[in-house]
Amino acid sequence: MKADFLKRGVTQIVSYLVLLFTVCISIVPLLWIVVSSFKSNKAILNKPFALPTEINFHAYYSVLKMNNFLSNTFNSVLISVTSTLVALLFYALAAYSFAKFDFAGKRVLFILFSVTLLIPGHATAQPIFSFINLTGLYDTRLALIVVYISAGLAVSLLILRASFLSIPRELDEAAYMESASFWQVFFYINLPLAKAGLSTAGILMFLGNWNEFFYGFMLTSSAQNRTLPVALQFFTEQFSYNYTQLFAALTLVTLPSIILYMLAQEQVQQSVVSGGVKG
Amino acid sequence: MYKYNKLWVYLFIVPTLLVFVTFYFVPIITVFTTGFTEWNGFNPPKLVGFDNYKMIFTDDNSLTVSLINLFKWSMIATFIHVPFGALVAFIIFKRPVGWRFVRGVFMIPNVIAVSAWAIIYRFIFNDQMGLLNNFIRKLGFSNFHTNWFFDMKYAFSAISFTWVFYAVIVTLLVLSDLMAIPKELHEAAKIDGATEAQIHWRINLPLIRGSLGTSVILSIIARITMFEAIFLTTKGGPGNSTYNISVMLYDGIINYQFGYANAVATIMIILGIGVLIITTKVFRMNKSVYN
Repeated sequence: MKADFLKRGVTQIVSYLVLLFTVCISIVPLLWIVVSSFKSNKAILNKPFALPTEINFHAYYSVLKMNNFLSNTFNSVLISVTSTLVALLFYALAAYSFAKFDFAGKRVLFILFSVTLLIPGHATAQPIFSFINLTGLYDTRLALIVVYISAGLAVSLLILRASFLSIPRELDEAAYMESASFWQVFFYINLPLAKAGLSTAGILMFLGNWNEFFYGFMLTSSAQNRTLPVALQFFTEQFSYNYTQLFAALTLVTLPSIILYMLAQEQVQQSVVSGGVKG
Repeated sequence: MYKYNKLWVYLFIVPTLLVFVTFYFVPIITVFTTGFTEWNGFNPPKLVGFDNYKMIFTDDNSLTVSLINLFKWSMIATFIHVPFGALVAFIIFKRPVGWRFVRGVFMIPNVIAVSAWAIIYRFIFNDQMGLLNNFIRKLGFSNFHTNWFFDMKYAFSAISFTWVFYAVIVTLLVLSDLMAIPKELHEAAKIDGATEAQIHWRINLPLIRGSLGTSVILSIIARITMFEAIFLTTKGGPGNSTYNISVMLYDGIINYQFGYANAVATIMIILGIGVLIITTKVFRMNKSVYN
């Protein structure tokens, strides 16, 4: 009995140590960056563990004042929001058709769309790079919007189709009885009821687009067309030894994702699982 | 029966079909076919048979290093990353104090940009100002100096550290699998006198093999496509000790060796499918768990 008690105690301690480790590796790096962004360059170099002596936003102010930071932020917002909304509309339309109707070629198309999940991330990079060059979209914001629209195809389709499948057909039938049109039944009845699926897929795509680096880096060349994650890479060179400003920039880039996550924690966690399970 | 115009059903598919054809179908065909050509994007592709593949396999040791690194990272994924994520899930499943907080915080590195995370790690591993080395020096090793990302001996481990413990997807997948196990199974086992450990090994573990398998697949495929974490820290170096197939593909594209790049991409796709097939077999994922 005593051995049992001891064993349980040890298990408990080990469990909490694992959890503590998890928490530390998840937020210490970020906290360190945020805290350091309030310190002087000299303090960052000489006293890496010390807290800032005063809270001032000098570094943030100079980052915001910097040539392209605001335009980079604007690019990130514009590109992520537009591509997510358009993609959401496209995939909701398709998912609705797949969920509620039978048509020739339905199975084949659905399998083809789903199989895109198996293509590893950047394998199609060259054709996409050439396509953007060919259409004259290189180094434009439109290029990234167009590419990002394609990003969450399979996952979004699967999430949204499941959403529409769970909406009873009787509702649609009743609406048709009242002589509603096809579009009205979709837009006024099904779309609002698929809200959970829409926000799950939407958040997943938005976070993906907001954080995207590879295509953002490859498809832009001028400083004012960059998105934030890409700009960050150039800041590290530009600031070279001004760590305070660099850390402030890092904080500003990561903050929106964290805020969005805090606002929609359950939804984000769920979207990651539904995005993951199907992979 | 209600009436609707069937044309709408097709019309609703069109935008997605267009995206699919432009960004998946045509690119995949291009990748598979131009891998057999010499092509720089300006002149028309010239058929060269298996030359690109020959070059990839024999010219320098990039592919060999990439594959060896992929193998090592796959082992780390399977035997450290996934078990760690699962361990956290098992602990959280018991709902200890603060479990919601842990689950929430664990997610944060996953929602911020990988590029930002990579840059943050560049500073954590920095010799002069970095958290790690200063911590080691504080512990009493006052002469400790190592440039983790630039040292032949440590670069691989340093890159591995940027992802190996960030296993929140594994945790969430395993957790939802654990919660789906019928309570009666646990109760019946307890009545039969099973210990906690026996319940874990004999009941829980076999029942969550689906999510473990999925995690292994996701994690290894993430290693195949890992780009930012390498490109923004070591660029594949020192030498090519942290090179991988994604960086190889990128190098091919920016040097306008499109045929070569697409041969690399083809290998990438084949590797991905291979990982999927092998893992599905090993974890018997296509067999139903509740039989």
